[in-house]
Amino acid sequence: MKKFYFLLFFFLFFNAVHSQEKYTLNGYVRDAKSGEELINVTVLVTETGTGVITNPYGFYSLTLPEGSYEIQYRFIGFITKKETVVLDKDVSLNIELEEETLELEEVVVTAERADENVTSIQMSTNQIDVAQVKKLPALFGEPDIIKTIQLLPGVISAGEGTSSFFVRGGSADQNLILIDEAPVYDPSHLFGLFSVFNADVIKDSELYKGGIPARFGGRLSSILEVRTKDGNNKEFGGEAGIGLLASSVMVEGPIKKDESSFIVSARRSYVDLFLRAANQDNLVYFYDLNAKVNWRANNKNRFFVALYSGRDDFSFGDNFSFDWGNRTATFRWNHLFNDKLFSNTSFIASSFDYGLGSTEEADGFQWDSNLQEYSLKQDLNYFFNPKLQADFGYHFTFRRFAPGKISPGEGSIFKEVQLQREFALDHAFYFGLQHTITPKLTLNYGARLSIFQNVGRGTVYEYLDVLDNTNPIRVDSTVYGRLENIKTYTNFEPRFSARYLLNGTSSVKLSYNRMVQNTHLISSGTVPLPFNTWAPSSTYLKPQLADQVAVGYFKNLSDNRYEFSVEAYYKTIDNITDFADNAQIFFNRDLATEYRQGTSEAYGLELMLQKKRGQLTGFVAYTWSKVERDVPDVNLDRPFPANYDRRHNLNLVATYDYNDKWVFGGNFTYGTGRPITISSGSYEFGDGYVPDVITERNGFRLPDFHRIDLSATLTPRRNKGKKYETSWIFSLYNVYSRKNPFSLYTRVALDDDDNVIGDGTIKEARMIYLFPILPSVTYNISF
Amino acid sequence: MKRFYIFMTCILLTVLSCEETVILDVNSLDERVTIEGQLTNQEGQTFVKLSRTRDFYFQGQAPRITDAIVEVSDELGNRFTFAHNPDNNPELQGFYFPVSPLAGRIGGTYQLNVEVGSDRFTASETMLPVTAIDSLGVVLDEEERDDPETPGRYYEVTFFASEPQDRKDQYLFKFYRNDSLVKDFPTDIYFSDDEFLGERIDDLTIAGWYADGDRCKVEMYSLTQEAFIFYSDLFNLVNNDGGMFSPPPADPRNNLSNGALGYWQVSALDEMEIVVSPPEED
Repeated sequence: MKKFYFLLFFFLFFNAVHSQEKYTLNGYVRDAKSGEELINVTVLVTETGTGVITNPYGFYSLTLPEGSYEIQYRFIGFITKKETVVLDKDVSLNIELEEETLELEEVVVTAERADENVTSIQMSTNQIDVAQVKKLPALFGEPDIIKTIQLLPGVISAGEGTSSFFVRGGSADQNLILIDEAPVYDPSHLFGLFSVFNADVIKDSELYKGGIPARFGGRLSSILEVRTKDGNNKEFGGEAGIGLLASSVMVEGPIKKDESSFIVSARRSYVDLFLRAANQDNLVYFYDLNAKVNWRANNKNRFFVALYSGRDDFSFGDNFSFDWGNRTATFRWNHLFNDKLFSNTSFIASSFDYGLGSTEEADGFQWDSNLQEYSLKQDLNYFFNPKLQADFGYHFTFRRFAPGKISPGEGSIFKEVQLQREFALDHAFYFGLQHTITPKLTLNYGARLSIFQNVGRGTVYEYLDVLDNTNPIRVDSTVYGRLENIKTYTNFEPRFSARYLLNGTSSVKLSYNRMVQNTHLISSGTVPLPFNTWAPSSTYLKPQLADQVAVGYFKNLSDNRYEFSVEAYYKTIDNITDFADNAQIFFNRDLATEYRQGTSEAYGLELMLQKKRGQLTGFVAYTWSKVERDVPDVNLDRPFPANYDRRHNLNLVATYDYNDKWVFGGNFTYGTGRPITISSGSYEFGDGYVPDVITERNGFRLPDFHRIDLSATLTPRRNKGKKYETSWIFSLYNVYSRKNPFSLYTRVALDDDDNVIGDGTIKEARMIYLFPILPSVTYNISF
Repeated sequence: MKRFYIFMTCILLTVLSCEETVILDVNSLDERVTIEGQLTNQEGQTFVKLSRTRDFYFQGQAPRITDAIVEVSDELGNRFTFAHNPDNNPELQGFYFPVSPLAGRIGGTYQLNVEVGSDRFTASETMLPVTAIDSLGVVLDEEERDDPETPGRYYEVTFFASEPQDRKDQYLFKFYRNDSLVKDFPTDIYFSDDEFLGERIDDLTIAGWYADGDRCKVEMYSLTQEAFIFYSDLFNLVNNDGGMFSPPPADPRNNLSNGALGYWQVSALDEMEIVVSPPEED
C-alpha cells in the first residue's frame, strides 16, 4: 500500500516539475460509423516520430513542448487521419476514423513507418479480428472466436469440438477469459462445441501469451480479453442470423445521439425444437444474452454497464437433467482526473453454476454447485510524455466456492449432503512503466503484488497422512470464523518487456513474466467439463507459479503488407496442480488427499506470417512445442508428457474478398496426435471384467490430426431503397471427411451388434472421432 | 452418482461421434501376477484364482498359475491351506480352494499368502458386517411390456433395506436371473458407499428385466474402504473414455503386496431370492 501512495505522489510531483513549458493533447479515437472507441490506435507525432497508442478505452494523451505539430492517427483497416494541432495550451481532440474500403486499401499502403507488429512493445499477443472470424468456415455455421484462437501460434487445442485451448504448455484452466473484464469460468456451450462468445456483439479480442502486462494477473498462461461493442451511438441498427443450429438477433442504437447508446443481443440454439417435433425426449439447448449501456456524460466521465448471461440445459426423458451457465456484470466508470491521468473504476461480478438432477423415484436427487466472484478494480494510466507512460492500480476480489450440495428428491434413497464452502480474498497492487529510452529502445517494466487469503468460515482438517487417498484419516480440525484468515500467500510478480528496432521494418523483442494462480480447477481429464469445480489456494493447495521468458524477431515485408514473426519461449511452472492416479475429484470431502502439485517445463518455437490488408488476408502459423510434467506419485514419480503436448502444429487461415458479392474463406489445420494413456496388456478379474494394465502415463499418441474447412459468403447487391442487407454463409467442415481422432479407449471385443466376440477375453481398441464432412448454411440480415 | 458422470459423457459422445476398431502398436508387457481372492461368512464361497497378465492382443484365457502355494491365516493364529483345483475341473484351472470348509467370522482379519515360484504376495482384510436385505419387490414396466428387449421379460425387481446411519458401510451387489449373473452393461459394477444414503432404501431398481416365473437372486457383500476404492477404481478403468473428459486410466489401488493386480476380498454376505410373479394390482 505504501508503495502505491509513493507512486501516486511521484507522478504528481513529476507532473508539477515538468508541466511548465509543455502542453497536453488528449482525447478519444472512435469509429466514424458507429462511434465505438478504437483501441490500440497509433497516435504519432510526425515531427518527432514518437507516439502513443490508445488505451483499452480508446483514450490517448500526448504531452509535448509548445509548438505546432502534425498528428497522425493510424489504425489497421481505417484511413489514416492527419491533424495539425497548435499546442499553446492543453488541447482536447476526439478523432473519428473512417473505415477503409476495398478499393482504397491497395493505394494506401505506402506507409513510411512499420506498424504495430514491429513497433509495439507487446510481443506474444494476437488480436482476433471478429470480422474475419465471421468470414471463416464454422462448425454448424456458428462463427466462434475460440475456434480461431485455437489456430494461433503457441495455442494448442485438444482436438475438435472443444472450447478449451492450451497456451505455451499451460493447461486449459490457466487461461483468464474475460468478457468486458469479467472472468468467464467455463466458456463452453454443448460441452465445448461452441463457445459462449456470440460473434455479433464482440468488438475486439486479444490473446496475451507472454509479456503479460502487470494489470493482468490470476492465471498462469494467458489472458483472453474479449470486449463487447458499446452500441452505435449515431444510428439504430441490428443484425439477425439464422443458422442450422442456432439463431441470433442483435439491436443497437443511440439512446441520445453521440452521447449514449445501447446494445442488446440474444442467441439461442433450437436443436430441442427439432427434437421435440421428432417426438424425442432428449432435449438440449443453450442461449446467450448480452446487454450493454454506455453513457458519455462529458469528455471526463464515461459510464458503462455490461451484462452477460448464458446457459446450457440438457434433459433426458423425464428422468435426468443437467444445466450450467455463466453470468457476469460489469460496471465501469472512466474518469479523466486531468489531461494526463486517466482512471478506470470497475465493479465486476461473475458467477458460474451447474446443476444435475434425477427425478427417478428411488434415486432422485438434485446436485448444485456454484462459484461467485465480486471485484473492485481501480486502474490508472498516467501519460507523462510520449516517452513515459505509467499504469498502476489496485484490484480486490472476493470469491465464494460452493463445490456441491445434494438434495434428495421425494422418496429418494439419498440424504442431504453438502461439501464445505470456501472463501477467498485477493488483493493485487500493480504498476507498469512504458519507457522509451531511445527511439529504438522501448522498455516496459513493472510488477504485481498478489496477496491471497483463504478465509473462513471453514474447518481445516489435519490428516494422519495427507497423501493417503485410499483411507484418509482426519486427526484434528481447526474451525475458522467468518472472514478469519486461514492461510495467506503473498507473491511478487515481476514483469518486463523490451523492444529494440533494428531498422524501419524489423525489431527484436524480449519479455519475462511471472504469473501466480490461486484458483485451481479440480479436473484430471484433458478437457475440463462444466461439472468440474474450482478451489482456492488453501492449507493443502499452494499457489501455482509460472515463469516465462520469450524472445522474438518481428519483420514487416512489402510495405507492411506482410507481418512476420518468430518467437521462442521457455516456461516453467512450480506447484502445478495435478491429482493422484485414480483421484476421486467429484464430491470428495477429503479432496485435499488427492492434490499432487508438481512442476512443468515447456518450450517452443512459433512462426507466423500474417497479411491483414488487401483482398487476400489471413495467416500461416507453425508451432513446435514440448511440455512435460513431473508430479510426485503420478506415473511412478517419472516425468510424463502433459495431456496437451503436441509437437507440431501448422495452421493456415485465409479469406479472399473476390468482389462485393462473394467472399471466400478457408482453413487448414494439422497437429501431432495428443498423448494418451493406454493399455499395455490386460488381465482377468471378477465377473467378466478384463481391465487394462497401465504402465505409463501418456505413453502413446493418437494419430495425427488434420482437416480443411471452406466457406463462401454471398452478399447479394442491395437494391435501391432497401433498408437492409442480407448475406448467405455456406460452410463445409472437414472437406475431405478425415476421421480425426477425438479419443481412444479399449473394451472387450464386440461385434457390430454389440455381442461379445469369443469367450469375452479378447480386447480391442476403439477410436472415437467426431465430425465427418458437414455442410451448413447461415442466413444473416443486417439493418 | 459416479455412474451419472459416465452416463453424461457417453450421451455426448454417442450423439455426436462415430467410432471404429483400430489396431494399436503396443509393446509386449512384463508379465504380472493377478490374484482374485474371496472369502465370505458362508461356506463354499471361498476361492483364490491366480493368473498372469497377457499382452493386449493375446487371444484366449489369461495364463493360469497352477503350481502356487496358497494359504490363509487369521488373527487368532488359525491357518487354512488351499489346494489347486482338487476336482481337476478343466474350467477351474488356476482356482485354489480351502482343503477343509472355511467360513469367515464377522470382525475377523484374514491374511492371504501366495507364493508363485520365488515371489511372495500377501494381503490382509477384515470382514465387516453387512446390512440385511429386507425384501425384494416386483414392478411391471409398461413401456418394456409394449416393446420388450427379450419377450416376456418386462418386470423390474426392486430392493428394500435399512441403511444403518451410525456406521460407515460399503456394499457390492450381484444380481442373478435363474442363477446366471445379470448386468445391464458388461462393464457395470454395482457398488456403493453410504455417504449419500439415507436410512431407508426403498424401491431401488436392480439390474435386468425379469419374466414371470424367473428366479431372481440378490447378493449383497460388505466391503472394506480399501475394497470400495478398488471397485471404484476398477469401474473407472473399465469405463474410461481415453482421458478426454475422464481422468487418465490407472491401475486400481488394491490391498496386494509386491505389485500383484487384483484383490483379496473378505466380505460378509447377505442374499435373498424370489420367484418373479406379477405384482398384485392395487
